[in-house]
Amino acid sequence: MKKIITLLLVAMMCLSAFVACAAPAAEGEPTAAPATEAPATEAPVSEAPAAPVELNVVTSYGGDDGNRVNYEAGIAAYEAATGNTVLDASATSNEEWKAKVMTDFETGTEPDVLFYFSGVDANALIEGNKLVSIEEIRAEYPDYASNMKDSMLPASPVDGKQYAVPVNGYWEGLFVNKAVLEAAGVAVPGADYTWDQFLADCEKIKTAGFTPVAVSLQEVPHYWFEYTVLNNGSIANHLELPAAADDAVAQKWAAGLADITELYTKGYLPANTLTATDAETCQLMIDGTAAFLIDGSWKVGFFKENAADHLDDYTVTFVPGKGERVATEVISGISMGYYITRKAWDDPAKREAAVKFVEMMTADDIVSTFGATAVTALKNGATPPADADSLSLAAIEMNKGVTGFVGAAQDGLSPEARGDLFANVKNIVTGGMTAQDALASMLTK
Amino acid sequence: MTTSTIYKKKTPLLFFLIPAFAFMTLFLYYPFVVNIVNSFSKISGLGTAAEGLNTPWYENYLKLFQDPNIVTALKNTLLMMLCTIVFQVGVALVLALLVDRIGRGSQFFRTVYFFPIVISATALGLLFNLIFLYNGGMVNQIAQKFFEVTQFIDWKDEDHYFITMLIPVMWQYVGFYFVIIVTGLNNISSEIYEAAEIDGASGFKRTRFITLPLLRNVLCTCLVLAITGALKVFDLPWVMFGSGIPMDQSWLTGTYMYNQTFIRSDVDYGSTIAVIIVVLGVVISRISNTIFKEKDY
Repeated sequence: MKKIITLLLVAMMCLSAFVACAAPAAEGEPTAAPATEAPATEAPVSEAPAAPVELNVVTSYGGDDGNRVNYEAGIAAYEAATGNTVLDASATSNEEWKAKVMTDFETGTEPDVLFYFSGVDANALIEGNKLVSIEEIRAEYPDYASNMKDSMLPASPVDGKQYAVPVNGYWEGLFVNKAVLEAAGVAVPGADYTWDQFLADCEKIKTAGFTPVAVSLQEVPHYWFEYTVLNNGSIANHLELPAAADDAVAQKWAAGLADITELYTKGYLPANTLTATDAETCQLMIDGTAAFLIDGSWKVGFFKENAADHLDDYTVTFVPGKGERVATEVISGISMGYYITRKAWDDPAKREAAVKFVEMMTADDIVSTFGATAVTALKNGATPPADADSLSLAAIEMNKGVTGFVGAAQDGLSPEARGDLFANVKNIVTGGMTAQDALASMLTK
Repeated sequence: MTTSTIYKKKTPLLFFLIPAFAFMTLFLYYPFVVNIVNSFSKISGLGTAAEGLNTPWYENYLKLFQDPNIVTALKNTLLMMLCTIVFQVGVALVLALLVDRIGRGSQFFRTVYFFPIVISATALGLLFNLIFLYNGGMVNQIAQKFFEVTQFIDWKDEDHYFITMLIPVMWQYVGFYFVIIVTGLNNISSEIYEAAEIDGASGFKRTRFITLPLLRNVLCTCLVLAITGALKVFDLPWVMFGSGIPMDQSWLTGTYMYNQTFIRSDVDYGSTIAVIIVVLGVVISRISNTIFKEKDY
């Protein structure tokens, strides 16, 4: 009898283990449909009203992103229009977020829709056939991204095909706290602002007891790196990458890093720039203790959200120019967009939901809410709101004055090389490492 | 009298043991072996397959010996271990002895001291980030208000980073060891204390000659747990000192491995650091188990 009980117990345990292993997929998930078995033309999702689905979406509109409110409004509109539910896992864009996105794909837990970079950062995903090209989507949905200028849809460096549908492009400019400048007796910079004038202004601001430049060198030296390198070159050669630690491009980059070092050694950066986070240093602008901040077009929303009651204290203008570069030449372009993942495309339940989501989030009216101040791929252009605030108007005005633009040189670096270079900026400014050694280290990555 | 066959025949036990063994093999030992292979391979980024072996195949191990950050990480981890013994187990012991003496309210103190354990380390990291914030942080405000400090103190700079990292890590786990020690104290018979009191033993002597010897096994368990736990400290320091701030000074083995793998995309070097962490963990666990071996009374 006991033998029978023993055998029964063993049998039950084995059975429970097998049942657990063979548990059916959750509702809405694909059961067993390899990518190759689902040709693009075999998904008659439009023939019958699809049941509501849960759409996993990852974007960079998380954290303190200035467009988070607009993004959430877009999601709400999509959910109301389709009955679908969006499971949003957005976060702030940084190297950690990029690594997490890559890990999700590696472990098979990628989202259905991804808002991500269109340059070399997405190479591994495209090489691994993890994303669906616009061409393939249009074979079934001819109107997909039809409101965009095809020539401005970013092409992948891997195969030249277009995968991402952009919301808007970006520009990088100099945000200015006018109240701080006034208190320090410094005029608001204009389109002819030079590096020497900038250094003189920084000295006055510092003497008046304020922090001239809000930047976290340990976390986000990216914007200053980009402009100081541009200041030591030109928009014609800005996208060239160093091939050796002592070649002409490397010397240009080293000169840019030397300019950052000068700002650090002269005490123009926050006292805790080597330990503070980017959020902490940006807060200095809001608190009225810092004068200048270089950041992207997305930062307009940050000021609107965090300085709503004194937004008129801020403006945005051109980053001071030096050498061949005039201030009106800016870092600008289209670097991010919405991707539909292969996983969602091969899932008949999610294919149409994903397409509709991207179409809605990149529609003219939604794109306009994300910042009419930015570069756009929309055929009709973005429409600035009638009640645009002073900071948005300043951004629009700045963009009208742009005489030349170029993308970010750092986008041409591998994540490993970029991470290594920016991690060494703190060592360069404190004299622990030469710029040449830092570039040599970067080139080994 | 018959004896149960279930205890005589060991074969059925295998049916119970094999699933757990298979699970461990699949999710622990197999990844560990792959990790060792990865440490000799060239992997250019997360999500990409290995591009063959490094040249030479032990390149990452050479790099390990030349990397000043790994020295910093090992030094900080060992220091953290020592501090854990003194401040986590030590403070927990003192608190437990004090709480054991008070009759009423002991349950209140148990709850209060244990509470940090139930808060996620990430939340605690964010909380202490605000406490030690440079501009307007709680500590700097207090220093300014009551100690007339004119210049804010950067609690994450090279002079203060370790204490700033240590305080929340120690504070978080004191309650854990406190509860274990209090439970051990409750198991000591009150009759022994009564006898000692009749013999005229003072409070200090009762603690020195009765409580501590009888708590030895409990303390040994706590010390082994604390030492091995210190090797795994990651989340709270990561939230507060994610990039090794200041100036790569605050790395722990765990945070440095994570940084190299997930932030710097140097997957094969991250794997090498992971191998070192495992080796270190095994060696230190063996040593601590030997030193703090429990005794049978």
